[in-house]
Amino acid sequence: MKHIVYLSRAVRPLSDQDLQELLAQCRRDNARNGITGILFYSHGNIAQLFEGEDVVAETLFDKIAQDGRHSHVQKLIDRPISHRSFADWHMAFHPIEPAGFEALQGFLLPQHVPAPPETLSIADATLVELVRLAVFGPAAAAPDTATPA
Amino acid sequence: MQEQHLQDILRRLPAGVATLEGPELRYSFVNEAFARLLNAGELLGRTVAEVPGPWPADLLGVMQQVYRTGLGHVAKACPLCDDPTARDEGVYYDVTLEPICAADGTVSGLLLFVVDVTVQEQARQRTHELAIETRRLDARLRVLSETAPQITFTIDAAGRCEYVSPQWYFFTGQPRTSDLNAIWPLLIHPDDRLRVLYQSEAARNSGTGWSYEYRLRRHDGQYRWMLSRALPELHTAATPPLHWHGALTEIHDQRELAEALRRGEAELRFLADSIPELIWTASAEGFVEYYNQYTGDYSGLTTAELGPTGWINLLHPDEQAGAARQWVHSVATGEEYEGVFRMRRHDGRYRWHIIRARQLTDGQGPRWFGACTDVDDQHRLRQVLQTQYDELAQANRDLDTFVYTASHDLKQPVLNLRGLFDELRRTATFHDPEKTQMLVMVDEALTQLDLTLQELAATVRDQRGLSAPVEELDVRHVAEEVLLGLRVQVQQSGAEIELDTDEAPLLTYGRANLRSVLHNLISNALKFAHPDRTPHVQIRSFRTADGHPGLQVQDNGLGMVLPDEPAAVFQPFTRQHPHIGGSGVGLYLVQRIVSSRGGRLEVESTVGEGTTFTIYWEEGTAADHV
Repeated sequence: MKHIVYLSRAVRPLSDQDLQELLAQCRRDNARNGITGILFYSHGNIAQLFEGEDVVAETLFDKIAQDGRHSHVQKLIDRPISHRSFADWHMAFHPIEPAGFEALQGFLLPQHVPAPPETLSIADATLVELVRLAVFGPAAAAPDTATPA
Repeated sequence: MQEQHLQDILRRLPAGVATLEGPELRYSFVNEAFARLLNAGELLGRTVAEVPGPWPADLLGVMQQVYRTGLGHVAKACPLCDDPTARDEGVYYDVTLEPICAADGTVSGLLLFVVDVTVQEQARQRTHELAIETRRLDARLRVLSETAPQITFTIDAAGRCEYVSPQWYFFTGQPRTSDLNAIWPLLIHPDDRLRVLYQSEAARNSGTGWSYEYRLRRHDGQYRWMLSRALPELHTAATPPLHWHGALTEIHDQRELAEALRRGEAELRFLADSIPELIWTASAEGFVEYYNQYTGDYSGLTTAELGPTGWINLLHPDEQAGAARQWVHSVATGEEYEGVFRMRRHDGRYRWHIIRARQLTDGQGPRWFGACTDVDDQHRLRQVLQTQYDELAQANRDLDTFVYTASHDLKQPVLNLRGLFDELRRTATFHDPEKTQMLVMVDEALTQLDLTLQELAATVRDQRGLSAPVEELDVRHVAEEVLLGLRVQVQQSGAEIELDTDEAPLLTYGRANLRSVLHNLISNALKFAHPDRTPHVQIRSFRTADGHPGLQVQDNGLGMVLPDEPAAVFQPFTRQHPHIGGSGVGLYLVQRIVSSRGGRLEVESTVGEGTTFTIYWEEGTAADHV
């Protein structure tokens, strides 16, 4: 098992429909491949942490790195882990029309993203916090202030 | 037969042929091409003037002139068309007019020979236009190549220079008459010459372009870096190119700058790697991209193992969360980062470090530069000193309090003693002859004791400033002074302090008293913080329903068990949490101060949840004897 964190830039801004399709596609593929984690999207900034079996995670990253929909893929971390920290796969972004999204499986509003799981080391949790900051900016609401580990 | 044959040939000739007879110029022979050309029905026997032809108006006059003079004439490229719209299509004929002479040599008629030269004429015109266009393009190219800051050149397959723009002469300072092919290689820096000649020849031999840099001598003798780029002129893929066209660009300054940058960067990197401190740089997003060599030596980890936030792993587990929180805050706000943390060395030992990071904002976007300075020795020494200082200060305060309390507590017994003694003198009889003297002595001793006790209490009071006169105080201001004194404790605990004095911003009280009260209550709140949560201390200045000022200090700390007898909390030397340092006189002192001025102190507490102290001030009264 390993987890990978990367940052990237979308080639063109993603519309609500693009995001919805991406969410559906990733939910389906990730559930099949046993990939869990979280993806942040805002104004063309993308960051994702995902965890899974070594081969599956590496294959997924190779596929992501070659995906023409984004560029400047910057891998921040690629480390073996002993256990998962995320039970599921989620995506957090600001839809233009939030009405229909709240009900979608796996969707989170950025201000509802929970603090990084406590099973992550503090260094890794900080990394997740920093990529969240990099994607949503300091103006975005801080996460629900859970007690620090 | 032969005559007939000749007629046939004439009739079918693709050029128009006609003969005109007599001075009135009557058609005597017309072939098919000619008839088609005029398209005017039967022509034979009619005069030229009768048949409207496509001739230009002046041609009729020319015909008559040829008839008169007997000299032939050729009208070249005549636009033969009477229809002005059709003329635009550009049909052109050469019209040859030859006199026909009779046997006696006099002119008897004219031979008209009309050949369609439209194609030739069009070609001629196109050639003319092309020549104009070529001249224009040539002029443009020349102006462009002579105004561009680059030197442009053309070189043939043998490496001979066919053309070089005037800039070459300006740059090198060579006369226009100089032999380019001989002088050019000599102007190349000796260290670059062979390489340039070889690279140029290799490119020409393989039929490709080139791009290389070399130093060329300028008119002032200085060698300047130039970029030479050229491409072959290719017409077909099969034939090797015969010419190369290219440009020389001066790149000296850019190259010097790039070189300086490279050198500067290498030097900085070397410097950073030589310093026995942990140095790192991070992106604007807060991801560390570079750790210096010493970081690797100290931690025993490589940059890859450390990763973008790996420095947090080096910190003592107790300090990681606070340090990480502070770092995220700095990245979000751009505020400087500073903290004192224990960092793990490769051998597992923790040493105290000051970690500082600042954001540099320049043209390349913001970046963070951080340094971790080993202050372990200083820190340990300071800790020892601080502990000793704290102990001494505490002992001093305790002694003061003890003296204070003792002097107060002894006052009553002395008073009792004096009462008893007076009673004894009144009722008992003494037979000693020196009784009067002794009674006076006892009296004096009692008075002396009372005075001494009063002076003791007053000395302590004056020393601690507790008897200072009251003044109007800004509660927020005093509280901030106290917090400044406690900043180390606030920082270490990561406590959130909430200060709200809006309801009762001013208080008339002794400055030292208020400070002492605040200091004791806040430092208690920080000291007895719950280990599992961020300490949260609320300080609130309020007014009661009847307008009296009050102060509340509330924390979310350990809490305490309140004894049945509330006063017990405030007995001296009572310690609620024996595992945490302290002498147990703080609250006692607070209570004495508050009650000495007529106020009262209340406490509510739940174990594991927190404690709230509420003070109801009595303003303006001077401290009486505590």
